[in-house]
Amino acid sequence: MSLEEPGPDADAAAVARAADEMEALVGEHVLSRDDHLNAPGYVVRPDAVQDVLGTLREEANLDHLSCVTAQEYEDRYESIYHLKSYDDPTHEASVVVPTPKDDPRSESAAPVFRTADWHEREAYDLVGVEYEDHPDLRRILLPETWQGHPLSLDYDQERPQIVPLREHANPLEDDQKADEGETMYLNIGPHHPATHGVLHLKTTLDGEQVIDVDPDIGYLHRCEEQLCQNSTYRYQIMPYPDRWDYISAGLLNEWAYARAIEDMADIEVPEYAQVIRTMGAELCRIAAHMLAVGTFALDVYGDFTAIFMYAVRDREKVQNILEDLTGQRLMFNYFRLGGVVWDLPDPREEFFESIRDFLDHLPGSLEEYHDLISANEILQVRTVDTGVLPPAVAKSYGATGPVARGSGVDYDLRRDDPYGYYDELDWDVVTEDGMDNYSRLLVRLREVEESAKIIEQCVDLLEDWPADDRTIQSNVPRTIRPDDDTEIYRAVEAAKGELGIYMRSDGTEQPARFKIRSPCFSNLQTLPEMSNGEYIPDLVASLGSLDIVLGEVDR
Amino acid sequence: MLGLDGVVGAVVGGLIGAFIIANVMLTTTAIAGPWAKRKITASFTDRIAVNRVGPFGLLIIVADAVRLLSKELIVPDGVDRPAWDLAPIVITFSALIGFAVIPFGSGLHLADPETGVVFVFAAASIASIGVVMAGYASNNKYSLLGGLRAIASNIAYEIPLIVTAASVVIFAGTLQMSEIVAVQRQPLVTFAGVTIPQWFAIVNPFAFALFTLANLAEIGRNPFDLPEAPTEIVAGFQTEYSSVYFVLLYLGEFIHIFLGGAIAATLFLGGPAGPVLPGFVWFYLKMWAFFLFTQWARSAVPRLRIDQFLNAGWKGMLVLSFANLALTAILVGVIV
Repeated sequence: MSLEEPGPDADAAAVARAADEMEALVGEHVLSRDDHLNAPGYVVRPDAVQDVLGTLREEANLDHLSCVTAQEYEDRYESIYHLKSYDDPTHEASVVVPTPKDDPRSESAAPVFRTADWHEREAYDLVGVEYEDHPDLRRILLPETWQGHPLSLDYDQERPQIVPLREHANPLEDDQKADEGETMYLNIGPHHPATHGVLHLKTTLDGEQVIDVDPDIGYLHRCEEQLCQNSTYRYQIMPYPDRWDYISAGLLNEWAYARAIEDMADIEVPEYAQVIRTMGAELCRIAAHMLAVGTFALDVYGDFTAIFMYAVRDREKVQNILEDLTGQRLMFNYFRLGGVVWDLPDPREEFFESIRDFLDHLPGSLEEYHDLISANEILQVRTVDTGVLPPAVAKSYGATGPVARGSGVDYDLRRDDPYGYYDELDWDVVTEDGMDNYSRLLVRLREVEESAKIIEQCVDLLEDWPADDRTIQSNVPRTIRPDDDTEIYRAVEAAKGELGIYMRSDGTEQPARFKIRSPCFSNLQTLPEMSNGEYIPDLVASLGSLDIVLGEVDR
Repeated sequence: MLGLDGVVGAVVGGLIGAFIIANVMLTTTAIAGPWAKRKITASFTDRIAVNRVGPFGLLIIVADAVRLLSKELIVPDGVDRPAWDLAPIVITFSALIGFAVIPFGSGLHLADPETGVVFVFAAASIASIGVVMAGYASNNKYSLLGGLRAIASNIAYEIPLIVTAASVVIFAGTLQMSEIVAVQRQPLVTFAGVTIPQWFAIVNPFAFALFTLANLAEIGRNPFDLPEAPTEIVAGFQTEYSSVYFVLLYLGEFIHIFLGGAIAATLFLGGPAGPVLPGFVWFYLKMWAFFLFTQWARSAVPRLRIDQFLNAGWKGMLVLSFANLALTAILVGVIV
């Protein structure tokens, strides 16, 4: 509960000053301080949430509601609003809202930050906190018929969740005919060629124009948070992140957990391992973006066409390199606390050669992509000025990653909140100002180039690394027990955006609360904003340009 | 034909001719659908495709036929029965009927009415009715959307298609298929001993381009495959069809592509004309060339959105095709 900011004392003092200034802004509402490792935390009354968040957003420039975490203690419920600034993500604050056990009701933040809509629905669904003034408080991940809240303390996991037919309220009404007007209700998904997984879009159409779309998620919910809460920090949690965003972004996800636990338990990572991590993560990013571009083209083209297969072909090369590095093609499980599991494969020259070979061919492939898609007039006609997401709306929904950068929001945690080896390397953050589907495509294609730059520099570094200084893991105790009631929220720039993890320790070797902030979850929320008023094909293209992975949305 | 005279001869000859043509087309489709399409798409997209069953994977045709025919025919609740059952048949046979007036060359020409061009377009257009029947009778919203798109695109693109064909008719001065082919045999220019024939694709490349585009839209291929549009409306009007009906629908689609190719070859590419090889072979190759063209478009060109597609049809193609018609009429009037 103390303010333990790593770094020189001067920095710590500055952070403490900033925290006090923020407290002064909302002082009247602050009951006490409950500082987290990453940010100052202000405890506020449940009826002052909107006031506090509104003031912090306007006065302290905390315009990014990154995540909402709810949890239950022995004596209370607690909702935590993790705030950040889009200009400087190291400028953070947590707003902690305790609610009594017998009446867990709290004011909703949805009128201030639109992203709170889904995040609070999830908190209600899994933990059981109720939010007043929420526009649409119902379950989001679990079925409507679910009994109880699985992450609450008194939840009985043994109790079967079998719902008799008569009680099973069909979430789809038998007859969706509108009383008046000429709209048509259409279920897109859960199984549909364009949903890239099991996503259900409840769509209202006027002819072919989308009047309203309501994404229904949760079909791929696998209790990832609870799985992590029942696992030990040291060994058992690391395999799970691979399964969130399983589109070959595994190392990026692993880094999210590695970063959070390493900051929490004060684990050093050797520089050599950081370079390997950086290289591996960027390889994953290329693989993920290749698939994103390929499937986006698939959505616009409409068939398994050339561009999709070309993208998969190039992704395959990355996959082979990653397989050489980690021994796995999909579920890498390569990171360890304090480093990576093993060194680069022998013979090293051959491995470097294969990476260089890939990097040499990459510009040619990208040229081909630009010829086939971004320079194609028909594709431009289809994607320019469709799925428009203005920056202000993107920020309000907590959009991150290529979605935010395609709307001109210059936000990239690799640069703004540096970790790993990124701040030592020479690369640029890609943004496009078009705000449309086309911009998001361009951002991804250009980010592949930047990732290639990073990988090349890492390979240069690794080639010249002295053989006697190749420490791949620091000394980490066999069991890790962070101090009781240590809380931390840490995020990394994953393939789809800001992947954050909140953890609270209770002095044991398992986290008491493990919350995943999935970038896709927040990004998907912007879909109605983009596609209302457009045609079905634009809706499909927008969905493709968001590049969601349902494994990460539903967790 | 076959030395038989009179009514009997006509009937027997007609039946034999129809038998030959239908079998040629069905065989072609069988090769094109399960095998050639896979191979062609694969070579566009860096793959190998079928190569396990038989030489070059050719026996996949048999395997696919067995697979498709042995599947359960699922009839969804609430389909509009006669219409739903008839639609695949209408789609397939309308395309086959069109071949009746197509001169395949080497004497294989079933009927040669004076209104051949009108007949072939009329026959081909019946397929649209089949598509609408399938879309409307399926009791499925995706099918309905596909059917609506089919109506919209057929109206928008059939007019430019036929108007462009009319410019050929003006040029040739006849609606009879054999005459149109004959006119194209005449030499256009003789250049260094090589005589270039008067193919209308060479005489008026602009009309040929217009016709090819409108033809793509008419047969519903990329970038105009809106009535099916997988990834948007699942499979459009075909969504609810399985087993034999599905085979019939696909058969109809492929025969329709080849009919499109046959019309383009007859009107613009000199029909069965060509050096050395017999006429029939040339004609067959021209149809396949068109098929190859549609597959190329499928692999490389994105699909238009429905409103953009209709805009291009009504505001672009229609105007251009009428301009082409007027220009051709004036030129023909001045020269002749």
